[in-house]
Amino acid sequence: MLLAYRLALASPRVRAAAIEATEFPSLADEMQVYAVPKIVVDGAPAWEGAVPERIFLDRLLAPAFE
Amino acid sequence: MAIFRPEDEAKVRELLTALERPVELLVAHGPEETPLPGARDIDFGAETERVMGELAELSPLLSLRVEDEPPGFDRYPAVSVQPEGRDVGIRYYGLPWGYELSSLIGGVIDAGRAESTLKPESLERLAALDRDIAIDVFVTPT
Repeated sequence: MLLAYRLALASPRVRAAAIEATEFPSLADEMQVYAVPKIVVDGAPAWEGAVPERIFLDRLLAPAFE
Repeated sequence: MAIFRPEDEAKVRELLTALERPVELLVAHGPEETPLPGARDIDFGAETERVMGELAELSPLLSLRVEDEPPGFDRYPAVSVQPEGRDVGIRYYGLPWGYELSSLIGGVIDAGRAESTLKPESLERLAALDRDIAIDVFVTPT
């Protein structure tokens, strides 16, 4: 979450939201949140778990999300 | 009841001395703050405002703003952390408490820094970004 916020602070092209899963259960269901942190990119479930900065960017910038 | 225990409050105050510029905490209330089953006595919106209000009092560089359904919010209650009052796309949806409150405070401290704490190579990759990206991170407070 903090890393996502740092990316949003550093780039006008990135926005970052943390969503409290237990408060928004239907959205969490829709995004297949079974473990946290769950990362959703452009509205599509992407991955689970905290990863280092470089890996986070690798995944975020992967062609799959283009 | 206070949000922060006296020893935590002292720690948070200390952490917030890292702020180098003003940061505004915008609390957004909306029409659909539906209480959860089993948590009927918790008013999430009011609690969010109370937590952020107490946080804002711990540094002269922090301020609190409260609005009803401001533009740019998907759900409520929500918090937007705004360096120098600018909306840079940071949101927290829900009531921040426990571990997530700590993370949010971390975000506030980063927002208050003049320079990014990301690695230089990360900043280069971000600078080369030619499309908009929306990241949602689902979290739980415990």
